[in-house]
Amino acid sequence: MLNETALSEAATLRQKRRTRKLLENIGVYTLLILVAAISIYPFLWTIRTSFSTSGGIFEFPPSLIPIEPSLKNYITVTQIVPLLRQLWNSLVICFFGVLGSVLVAALGAYPLAKMKFWGRDIIFYALIATLVLPNEAGLIVNFITVSRLQLLTTEIGQIAAIILPAFGSVANVFLMRQAYLGIPSELLEAARIDGASELSIWWKIMLPLTMPTIAAVSILQFVAFWNSFLWPIIVMRDRNLYPLSAGMLDLAGSFSTNTRAISAGAVLMMIPILIVFLFFQRYFMRGLEGAVKG
Amino acid sequence: MTNSSFDRKRGERGRVWRDLVIAYLFMLPMLVVKILFTFWPIIFGTALAFATVNIGRGFSLEWVGLKNFEELFGFGAFAGRGPDRDFWYGLTNSLKYILVVPVIQILSIALAMLVNRTIPLIGLFRTAFYVPVVTSFAVVGLMWQWMYDQYGPINFMLTSLGLMDAKNPTNLLNNPVIALWAIMFVTLWKGLGYYMVLYLAGLQNIDRSLEEAAVIDGANRWEVFWNITIPGLKPTILVCSLLSTISAIKVFEEIYTMTRGGPAGSTFTAMFFIYDKSFGDYRFGYAAAAGLVVAVVSIIFAAINFRLTRGNQNA
Repeated sequence: MLNETALSEAATLRQKRRTRKLLENIGVYTLLILVAAISIYPFLWTIRTSFSTSGGIFEFPPSLIPIEPSLKNYITVTQIVPLLRQLWNSLVICFFGVLGSVLVAALGAYPLAKMKFWGRDIIFYALIATLVLPNEAGLIVNFITVSRLQLLTTEIGQIAAIILPAFGSVANVFLMRQAYLGIPSELLEAARIDGASELSIWWKIMLPLTMPTIAAVSILQFVAFWNSFLWPIIVMRDRNLYPLSAGMLDLAGSFSTNTRAISAGAVLMMIPILIVFLFFQRYFMRGLEGAVKG
Repeated sequence: MTNSSFDRKRGERGRVWRDLVIAYLFMLPMLVVKILFTFWPIIFGTALAFATVNIGRGFSLEWVGLKNFEELFGFGAFAGRGPDRDFWYGLTNSLKYILVVPVIQILSIALAMLVNRTIPLIGLFRTAFYVPVVTSFAVVGLMWQWMYDQYGPINFMLTSLGLMDAKNPTNLLNNPVIALWAIMFVTLWKGLGYYMVLYLAGLQNIDRSLEEAAVIDGANRWEVFWNITIPGLKPTILVCSLLSTISAIKVFEEIYTMTRGGPAGSTFTAMFFIYDKSFGDYRFGYAAAAGLVVAVVSIIFAAINFRLTRGNQNA
């Protein structure tokens, strides 16, 4: 008898807890959906505009369903600006930019993590200092520097001018250094005793063991190169050399009334970055966290 | 001294030298790029502030002493003209922009706590919150111009709520009083996911057993939050609010892609002023002087921020 009441009490308690848990989850999902809607809505609105072919671009009430949907705007936008050329430019800049950034950081971080030599601490603290030292005139001086290096007179030079300043990213160096520090030094000592050179240790031991970090650095740099527009606009004179991001602003400036075509351009520009991001999200997040911790 | 110990000593010294050369060869590309594009701009950028740059003749410098600063502050040769109003107005707006910092930090901590649970679809939501972060301002600026358009979704919402005249809606970015606030909202929208990820990492570093012990001892959620979660997040808060403060003072891309300082100069910021002076008017020296003033201001605010977020730690 007594046992039975205790049991039913426990049952109601469990029931109550379950109800509370359910209510909490409903609350959580409501908030999640609300914030996600705010985050995603501008994208949906842009996609919708890019497929619409008639009606006011801006409508009361705003509906996310395209009006008379077609691909017309996508064809138009490739006709009014050298979009495919700019897509190619973006890919070239990203490829060489990522390759160079990874190489510079992976090489530079190795002695900082695994070798003893005079000046190591000085260099390390100097690198940290660049994170805090204000550099408001950086754009101006870098422009003067690349001009004086005669980089702005040729196509290859202009591409070099765009990617070179980013090679010095301290965040990349710190990420690589952190990854190298995680590799046991005994492994290197054993290789050194066997007569391996530092270069072959770096190439055959360090790089294969730090692939996840190299992936993180690559993906962070890819996004940075793909998205940057200001430096390309300053450095490049010819819009045929623009990467897509700079091309987008150029397009918006020159054809501001053709919102549907610009929307189509914006969607085209977002697709590659979203694909890359969705595939390599894990590495991206790791890189982001590591860069701040370093 | 025997021959062998002499040899050993020489061998050791040889090795030290060899390592030194190898180490610097490894770092050579990094050091060259770093010196050329980071250290040189800091040194040369400071020097430029005391010069006038002649673009036409291979960027030759002409030293002018404090003249650029005199023009900025309105003394010396420029005593009658008063300080450069555009600059001070821009700097005021940059400082106003710091208001974004507490809002974005509080909201992103809340968002991080919201997504820090293992429930179905949570990964999808985290991704959704992160999409604005990986989108270029070249696209973000355009999208929000459309969002804020006279007949765009934001105005539809505002008129539905009775906050705007339905017959004659106005673009918020064309309103000198509201434009800067409207841009601040975009910064918040784009940055939220970034700080969320950093705080999420911070939350996952907090020892869960601490929270569990507190709950067993009878602490409620609020007490756990204030006494365990927030102290555990302190290092992350310090870094994030510092990053956020510095980027608020240097706000530029939002302005460049949405209003270009307009309407009527109401969204001019310090960095936009520097950009405008250098690549609009080609007055590199004057822009560098303004840059130096902004640098000093941002160091002061970074220090204040450091004191504020660290001060709480001892309390």
